[in-house]
Amino acid sequence: MQIHGFASQGFVYTNDNNWLTMNTSQGSGAFTDFGINASTNVTDRLRIGAQLYDRNLGQLGEYHPSLDWAVVDYRFKSWFGIRGGKVKTTLGLYTDSQDLDFLHTFALLPQSVYPTDLRDATIAHVGGDIYGNVTLQHKLGDLSYTGYVGHRSDSEYSGYRYYLSSFGAQIKSYGGLQYGADLRWSTPLKGLLIGVSRMNEEITAKGSVVDPLNPGAGLVPYSEFSKADWTNQFYGEYTKGRLRIDSEYRRYWRNQEISDSTSESFADMRGWYVSGAYRICKRLQIGSYYSRYTITNVVTGALSALYPPATDTNLPANHIYDKVVTARVDLTKFWNLKVEGHFMNGYGSGPYPNGFYTQVNPQGFMPNTNALVVKTGVNF
Amino acid sequence: MKCRNLLLVAAGLAIFVSGESFADSVKVIANWSVKTDAISAADLKRLFLEERIALADGSHVEPVLEKNGPVHVAFLKYLGISEDDLETYYRTLVFTGKGSMPKELGSDAEVIAYVARTRGAIGYVSSTASAEGVKTLTVGDGEADAERKLTFSVKPVYPETLRKLNIGGTVRLRVFISAQGKVEDVRLLGGNPILAEAAVSAVKKWVYAPGRSRSIVVVSILFEGTE
Repeated sequence: MQIHGFASQGFVYTNDNNWLTMNTSQGSGAFTDFGINASTNVTDRLRIGAQLYDRNLGQLGEYHPSLDWAVVDYRFKSWFGIRGGKVKTTLGLYTDSQDLDFLHTFALLPQSVYPTDLRDATIAHVGGDIYGNVTLQHKLGDLSYTGYVGHRSDSEYSGYRYYLSSFGAQIKSYGGLQYGADLRWSTPLKGLLIGVSRMNEEITAKGSVVDPLNPGAGLVPYSEFSKADWTNQFYGEYTKGRLRIDSEYRRYWRNQEISDSTSESFADMRGWYVSGAYRICKRLQIGSYYSRYTITNVVTGALSALYPPATDTNLPANHIYDKVVTARVDLTKFWNLKVEGHFMNGYGSGPYPNGFYTQVNPQGFMPNTNALVVKTGVNF
Repeated sequence: MKCRNLLLVAAGLAIFVSGESFADSVKVIANWSVKTDAISAADLKRLFLEERIALADGSHVEPVLEKNGPVHVAFLKYLGISEDDLETYYRTLVFTGKGSMPKELGSDAEVIAYVARTRGAIGYVSSTASAEGVKTLTVGDGEADAERKLTFSVKPVYPETLRKLNIGGTVRLRVFISAQGKVEDVRLLGGNPILAEAAVSAVKKWVYAPGRSRSIVVVSILFEGTE
């Protein structure tokens, strides 16, 4: 039986705009998470384990623990295994490890692709995976694949449900079918990995909302149904010695019936980043990335009058461009400290959130945000 | 009159060999249940990264680590991965529920003892450590290569005395081939010593097609006396 755990504590200060649901313009330390897992190899091929996870990120999480993953994993062959239970979703390079601060150079992964406030949307599914690794003939490298199907469920303290609360929505349930696949190729060029992921979802939200067309009428039923909900992600990673370069592109397309099917929303979110990290010495790494996120949205039906088309991605409301520099110091093998600067243009506060929320910015948004993030983490 | 058939079998086991610097300081060992005598560095990496759980013959293997130290660092050069990157890799597996940390032991003696008693175990120790009770695997730095072609061969001379006595058998040799195709060294793996002497003498004159790097080929030569 192996038992491992981790914890991290961050502090964020921004010059303008409160970020990630924290009161960062005054400096906020509401950026805490921790987890613990236990696992054991029952036989050569059978492994079981589970991890509990808890976090507080501003208005999200609020220290309500959740079962992060709990799997039974049986590997028949190198090229074929199955795992079932609550399984971390494989999507791009870091979706499944996005919470694990100690594994990354950066205090915050590029938010265009890995928005930490929206982790519940992609982090895991209750269902099953098939996976395996195949060595290609003619020295063409290795292929790893994962296919999955399951049910995604967003917690009451997740980012999107918090976003909906800005409209007075009280969501009773949010989740649905999630299925997809990932294929990654370790190429013959030493250190180069490239891959592609696809995820489809059929999401349903149910609850009530203050009638947007007649606020005086009180609460009316609210629902969302996916008509088309998919994510494509392309990625590459190159490591050579102390240098690591990553790049990913994610497109998330979301077409929904909303407000009890009286309206329809078409949202198109695209994000990409290029990052580089270099280990100067055993204890010190430096890194930088450029992250770019855009969102467009068109609403048709009854709510179209309230939500005019948002299609100009040059507007700060429809994009976030983030330049980041960071330094990571490994104080010991199991304790790290990160100092990171973010220089953001735009706040991308469209019909789907990405870090900036009106509830914590009642005065409105400024176009630029600079942020200082200091974070420390331990693991064992 | 007896005739001689010399059947040359270039077994399909060939691997690129590695530079000698780290190979000199560490050796890869395996439990005797592991069938192979040689493994490529690429396959070794797949096993230690848990991408592969079995050898080509289907037998399950279990990687074993020696805790951080010079032997561990030397071994990682086989894998082409840094100590920190390997640590991060294993932690990713452990904390995402997609794998487990391999067994980690503190010394050569502990690794040897564990590998000796554990079916399928494969580990590494200092090259100076006594590998009693385990087998030592030859490791290369590339992929398995069954395509290294023989372009010139000399038939071994069947020793007349043995031929008359109808004494035959198979000689197994490990042949070290340069990138240019020249046979650099030949080592006996098994067979009648007198037949082996004839086989080694012939194989040293063989020439292979040029390759991308040095290779090791296991060759079996059958001395068969018939009427």
